[in-house]
Amino acid sequence: MVTNDELIRVVDVKKEYNHGEIKALNGCSLTVHKGEVVAMCGPSGSGKSTLLRCLNMLEVPTSGHIYFDGVDLADKNVDINLHRRKMGMVFQHFNLFPHKTVMQNITLAPVYLKLKTKEEARKKGEELLKRIGLSNKANEYPNMLSGGQKQRIAIVRALAMEPEVMLFDEPTSALDPEMVNEVLDLMRDLAKAGMTMVVVTHEMGFAREVADRVIFMDGGQILEENTPDLLFDSPQHPRLKDFLSKVL
Amino acid sequence: MDWEGIFGNLSPASFFNFSFLGEYGKYLLQAIGYTLLLAVVSVLLAILPALLLAIMRLSKNKLVKGISGAYIALFRSTPLLVQLSIIYFGLFGAVRIPNNWQLFGFIPMSRFIPGVVALALNSSAYVAEIFRGGILAVDIGQTEAARSLGLPAWASMKLVVLPQAIKNVLPALANEIVTMVKESSICSTLGMAELMFAAKTVAGATYITLAPYTVAALIYFCINYPASKAIEAVERRMRRGDKR
Ligand SMILES: Nc1ncnc2c1ncn2[C@@H]1O[C@H](COP(=O)(O)OP(=O)(O)O)[C@@H](O)[C@H]1O
Ligand SMILES: [Mg+2]
Repeated sequence: MVTNDELIRVVDVKKEYNHGEIKALNGCSLTVHKGEVVAMCGPSGSGKSTLLRCLNMLEVPTSGHIYFDGVDLADKNVDINLHRRKMGMVFQHFNLFPHKTVMQNITLAPVYLKLKTKEEARKKGEELLKRIGLSNKANEYPNMLSGGQKQRIAIVRALAMEPEVMLFDEPTSALDPEMVNEVLDLMRDLAKAGMTMVVVTHEMGFAREVADRVIFMDGGQILEENTPDLLFDSPQHPRLKDFLSKVL
Repeated sequence: MDWEGIFGNLSPASFFNFSFLGEYGKYLLQAIGYTLLLAVVSVLLAILPALLLAIMRLSKNKLVKGISGAYIALFRSTPLLVQLSIIYFGLFGAVRIPNNWQLFGFIPMSRFIPGVVALALNSSAYVAEIFRGGILAVDIGQTEAARSLGLPAWASMKLVVLPQAIKNVLPALANEIVTMVKESSICSTLGMAELMFAAKTVAGATYITLAPYTVAALIYFCINYPASKAIEAVERRMRRGDKR
């Protein structure tokens, strides 16, 4: 379901920490089209999270541009809050709000930002919970849920904003192995439904099956970018070959 | 050294000569009320300014951060008695409160208000640090999740971070009240009829020099010790609850 419509364009983004001592991103460029699923892989510390978090400005790039729907998010005059509504984000450690029930987690932002009335948001929440088979958890607090349930709720919380793109940062890395699949299944469903997704993941099987394009990062750079089959079966860059020999 | 060498002509019994209790018992009870009121009201009044100071302290703006830092440093690095005197004679020398205003019929507002204001201003410097710690103790991922949903910074602070921070600092806040029960004794120097002042008054009126203070000490202890133990127990329970 990849289209030719460009949704996100990253142009030569650099990110430094500690006044340039740490170079997390060394000039990354990337385009994501509407309906596309892009998987990002690479060794730990290669800059995957930093690049993903630059997409919704959780990290502000030191230089470069990030266009979302044609708007340069790195421009200081842009109200980033308006754009973040359209970019759902899912974290490794779920980050559900522990003092809110599952339903309140889902409805908090849409209601507070007046995108929906309380009733509309509840209805949407119930619909989403039903879709993931967790309707009976609506009034539970997050600490009563398993890791897999928490992550699926976190995904649903992001979906309740009706985003144009979903950003995932190692969504299954903190899960017990037996819970990984319930989360990957949900993500697979989302991809099938045409959601634009950028997924940082170590699940190579998932990347190969679901992604339209895979990006390999190392040392703050995108070293290789290809369809999953070509990237995994005939890697070009020595660092990618080395990486694949370790993880596959 | 024998007893007389240390205590002169004070007999052991003079610590416990409670003969004044019949006549002054009611007065002392009122004084306990005064002390508790001073402590509770000043900490409650301190909460909002402290919250503001804490959030300012965490701001990226250097000026905002500096103002809050200066306030906290000033109030934590000077004696409460000095602060109280400056506020009483300076601020409330300029702003007169009518002498005939009374709270519960025995607390003249012209003394109570300056006392409470001084204690609250002092306490807000300490409570601000408690809040700052509480806010920093909330996982940064909570803010990131809130911001990634498009919530502005202050909304994510109000809806997501503060509710969690405040729950974490409730025990420390209760401890601040315990501290204030003790610290408020300093208000006796300005004639506020709280517990310490009452002890002094009874000592003067009855020529029983020591026992009134023994009684005051016992009362302070009987309020604060059980209170601190209860707070500790609640804290332990909260910590267990968090681990679920
Ligand atoms: N807030 C930060 N302060 C300093 N260094 C950071 C910060 N965030 C990330 N880094 C550094 O940037 C590099 C890339 O990190 P990251 O994007 O998290 O890698 P990945 O997600 O691929 O494991 C690492 O060397 C990391 O130590
Ligand atoms: Mg990472």
